Amino acid sequence: MAAFRAPPRKGENFELSADLNSEYKEKRKDAIKRVIANMTVQKDVSGLFPDVLKNMQTDDLEQKKLVYLYLMNYAKTQPELVILAVNTFVKDTDDPNPLVRALAIRTMGCLRAEKIIDYLCDPLQKCLRDENPYVRKTAALCVAKLYDLKPELVIENGFLETLQEMIADSNPMVVANTVAALTDIHIAAAAAGSNTEVFVITSAVLNKLLIALNECSEWGRVAILNALGRYETHDDRESEHICERVVPQFQHANASVVLSAIKVIMIHMRSVRSETLTKQLVRKMAPPLVTLLSNPPEVQWVALRDINLLLQKRPDILSNEMRVFFCKYNDPLYVKVEKLDIMVRLAGPNNVDALLSELKEYASEVDVDFVRRSIKAIGQTAIKIDEAAERCVNVLMELIGTRVSYVVQEGVVVMKDIFRKYPSTYEGVIPTLCANLDELDEPEAKASLIWIIGEYANKIDNADELLGIFVDSFTEESYPVQLQTLTAVVKLFLRKPDTSQGLVQRILNTATKDCDSPDVRDRAYIYWRLLSTDPGAAKAVVLAHRPPISLPRTTVSPALLEELLGEIPSLASVYHKPEETFVGRGRIGADAIPKGGSEKLSRPLLLASKPRTCSTSTTLPPTMDSSQPVLPQQPYSPRRLQLRTCFRGHQATRWTTWYRYLAIRVSGPMRHHHLHLASHRHISTLSVACLSVDNPCHQLLR
Amino acid sequence: MAIDGLVILDSTGRPIVQSGFRSTSPAYPLLHIEALNDALSKAPRPADADPVLYVPNTGIDGPSACCHVKRGELRFLGLMSGDTDPLYVFAFLETFISILRDYFGQLSAETLKENFDVVYQLLEETLDAGGHPSTTSINALKDIVLPPSLLSKVLSVAGVSGLASPGTNSHPFASPIPWRKVGVRYNSNEIFFDVAEELKAVVNKNGGIIVSSVWGKVHTNCRLSGTPDLLLSFSNAQPLTDCSFHPCVRLQRWSRDKNLSFVPPDGRFILMEYKYTPGGVHHVAVPFALKASVDCEVNGGSFDVALTSRLTTKVLENMNVELYLGEGATSASCVVSNNTSWNFDPRTRILHWNIKAVSPSSSFSLKGTFSSTAEQPRPSHAFRARFEIPQHSFSSLKVDQLKITGEMYKPYKGVRGRSTGDVEWRW
Repeated sequence: MAAFRAPPRKGENFELSADLNSEYKEKRKDAIKRVIANMTVQKDVSGLFPDVLKNMQTDDLEQKKLVYLYLMNYAKTQPELVILAVNTFVKDTDDPNPLVRALAIRTMGCLRAEKIIDYLCDPLQKCLRDENPYVRKTAALCVAKLYDLKPELVIENGFLETLQEMIADSNPMVVANTVAALTDIHIAAAAAGSNTEVFVITSAVLNKLLIALNECSEWGRVAILNALGRYETHDDRESEHICERVVPQFQHANASVVLSAIKVIMIHMRSVRSETLTKQLVRKMAPPLVTLLSNPPEVQWVALRDINLLLQKRPDILSNEMRVFFCKYNDPLYVKVEKLDIMVRLAGPNNVDALLSELKEYASEVDVDFVRRSIKAIGQTAIKIDEAAERCVNVLMELIGTRVSYVVQEGVVVMKDIFRKYPSTYEGVIPTLCANLDELDEPEAKASLIWIIGEYANKIDNADELLGIFVDSFTEESYPVQLQTLTAVVKLFLRKPDTSQGLVQRILNTATKDCDSPDVRDRAYIYWRLLSTDPGAAKAVVLAHRPPISLPRTTVSPALLEELLGEIPSLASVYHKPEETFVGRGRIGADAIPKGGSEKLSRPLLLASKPRTCSTSTTLPPTMDSSQPVLPQQPYSPRRLQLRTCFRGHQATRWTTWYRYLAIRVSGPMRHHHLHLASHRHISTLSVACLSVDNPCHQLLR
Repeated sequence: MAIDGLVILDSTGRPIVQSGFRSTSPAYPLLHIEALNDALSKAPRPADADPVLYVPNTGIDGPSACCHVKRGELRFLGLMSGDTDPLYVFAFLETFISILRDYFGQLSAETLKENFDVVYQLLEETLDAGGHPSTTSINALKDIVLPPSLLSKVLSVAGVSGLASPGTNSHPFASPIPWRKVGVRYNSNEIFFDVAEELKAVVNKNGGIIVSSVWGKVHTNCRLSGTPDLLLSFSNAQPLTDCSFHPCVRLQRWSRDKNLSFVPPDGRFILMEYKYTPGGVHHVAVPFALKASVDCEVNGGSFDVALTSRLTTKVLENMNVELYLGEGATSASCVVSNNTSWNFDPRTRILHWNIKAVSPSSSFSLKGTFSSTAEQPRPSHAFRARFEIPQHSFSSLKVDQLKITGEMYKPYKGVRGRSTGDVEWRW
């Protein structure tokens, strides 16, 4: 930028002004170039407006373009001056050269100055019926821009009807751009709250679109495919017809065309009844998806996010292609992460060995974050495929044997998940895990090991000794570790009451007196009360049978999945979030969301239970799925709603705390069956879960 | 669907070119640039920054996002708002970059600054203000935006700019085929096909192939007069799978009999891309073998690598083997075979070993040590080897014949193969 800053500004503009008025053509053109150069580095050259304008009437198309560029830049700030240019514009729309006509109409559409718009309609009318397709196509897009500025002008002049006629144009380029313009207007009208559908796709329109699809540019194809996705078919024959016509687009070189075509197929396949055709379509989807992975990493990433979504709906698409997703060590992290997720999704008994040896390889990589995710993936594989669990555990033990700190920590966390899925199966590894106790410094790893010790307290001879270490350092630990220690000690006490009486007394004392977390204190009080009133009930609650965890097949709710699949490829499908949560015009707070149809949301329970002041919508997690709890979805029963209202004023920070209070208030003297009877089944499972585990499966699985 | 605009940043993250952003405030592109530079500085490696950045509060029309790619020293940003398809933006960026390459050759901040008037004209033509890409076919573009050339410079110095103006072409876009100009004339009619294949493979330490795939592209340079309609047939097209084609190819014909029927664009273009999947055998073999041992000690380590060609007649050229020596690696010292060279880049911490030519069944070795500030150095667990094999194709794809209809002449056809490889070899 410094290169442009040689002479003082005033002098430079003065010089430019002189050159712009020079009698030599070349000097004038050169001056215009310098003006534009200044403009692009954000220097103010608006003072030269009249001088530049004088150079607008010229035979030199390049010079004309540069002047237009200048006009577009300053039209917003100097609308009164632009009026001076109107005559030239209007004259240019009659120029014998189609390029000049198109340029003039395009520029007029871009000026966005109120005053010039009124002059736009007549030339636009003419250009929409121009003999040259390039002019027609440019004019079609101009209508959309006009609608953006002054919708009533478009309607008064009947431009919408003209556009609808232009769908039948002989030139595919014109058709495609008309479709794009109509779609833009359609969306703008819907956003403005208009009830009438601007762009209705009838079966006649459909046929025109299908014909133009094969002949226009890639951008046109995307526009047409998007329109096809909106079409509502009348019967399955029509759906089949669309699918058959769209399938060849899978072989287009442009990734955007390919994914848009896949979207159209996913939408219309819903109403295809023929089993064989469905199978055929699914089979044909695999090659283009694999091809997308030969693109640069940025494109790969978008494709991978969409593939992840597609697999949730149709796990069979890429069932034989897992190797394609193997990571290379120099893939960017964001690509590796997505590939890992997809690999686990594609894992089955027949390919699990290849997967495990890959994951083991990744676990020795350089990148710490990736190593952790690979270890997590081993755990997910174990949970997903029962027959491979033992092999996974062996790999994990090998990795823990390397004694690399973060490998060990992640390994312990993952082992806990495996114990949740296969209780009392791999107890043999517990001594190895406990041997690494000193290595652990992360709360999650510590908490996991403590959970394992508590759970298998009766099988670990020195459980009281091990837990004693954590009880000693109790007040220094983080809250999750404190909670876990508390629960584990109570479990130990219930299983071996004779040896751990002192330990439980000590921890209940410390937790209720010296701990500053209300969660920990509350839990300690509950345990204390349970143990002192009815040890039998305590056993039933604390040592309750826990539902086994499983790997969720989908990361979003089925309804949302359908919605997102209909939006492939788009930001919504890439982020795996409904569009309105991040591109809504206004902020959507927690209050607004249930009104918008709670079935659309993946986690109504969570959203509704957040404190009222917190707005959830506009903070979109960057790319990774947030690890929000995935709770079983159940509609609110009147009973629960009522309870919710009772506790709304309470300073509860997390839903677990609510339910804990709920449990105390509802059941008075803590009796397990009271708890069960008094409240909704759902609440009781939740409270039991949080009392005895406080590790709902959402913490285990992403 | 809206691409709000495009910004090109130089290597220091400052904008050198940006499109109009007429509907938004001037702060809009700046917010995106800031968000990008922020994300780049936060990422552990710049290449690890997410390719689609979400920019929550631009204060105009709700949030928007920014897609970015880096090519050479330049970074290209595509800004989008609303629920736009990021792939659409990436595809546009790729197209725009290839247009710039076609116009200016090598891309650098200098060339763009020098030719900013052409760049801006190209931006205007390729991206409509409504956010739709418009004319992106090189052939059509050259009709309306004149590439910078010696001729136009001479003419402008001589003061006869009217001659150089593309306005002389009174029939732009008159061609019924959007990718082909009308009235193309050549004295000798020739068409060249370059079949370029790339082997991408991952090999485990025992030499077993974990993944290997060959991706091919048919680069075409067409210099044919008039409007020729071509039919290209291959003698062995069956193992080509997962194909994608230039829009000029008639897809129905390919799915019927694996022949390519098309009216070619003028000049250079990529006719088709494919994946080569040999029948029967599951993998394409890697043309060399690597025996490596790496030992890590405290604050350093040693390595011993031997590379042997598995080819019997052809030569592997420009073999480049690299190993990332891990965080904290400071230096390396090696002993290598004759005719090979090595160097260590302390900035990227990558050790490079270059062998100009690996003749059939020859072997080379690399032995050395490295030192690191990390107590337990963790070099990457794989070598990356890249190489070229001229006059070779993994698929041995053969052009059977080229038929031409619609024109009277008999064209000369040239077919060439070349192969490259990018192999990850774990140790």
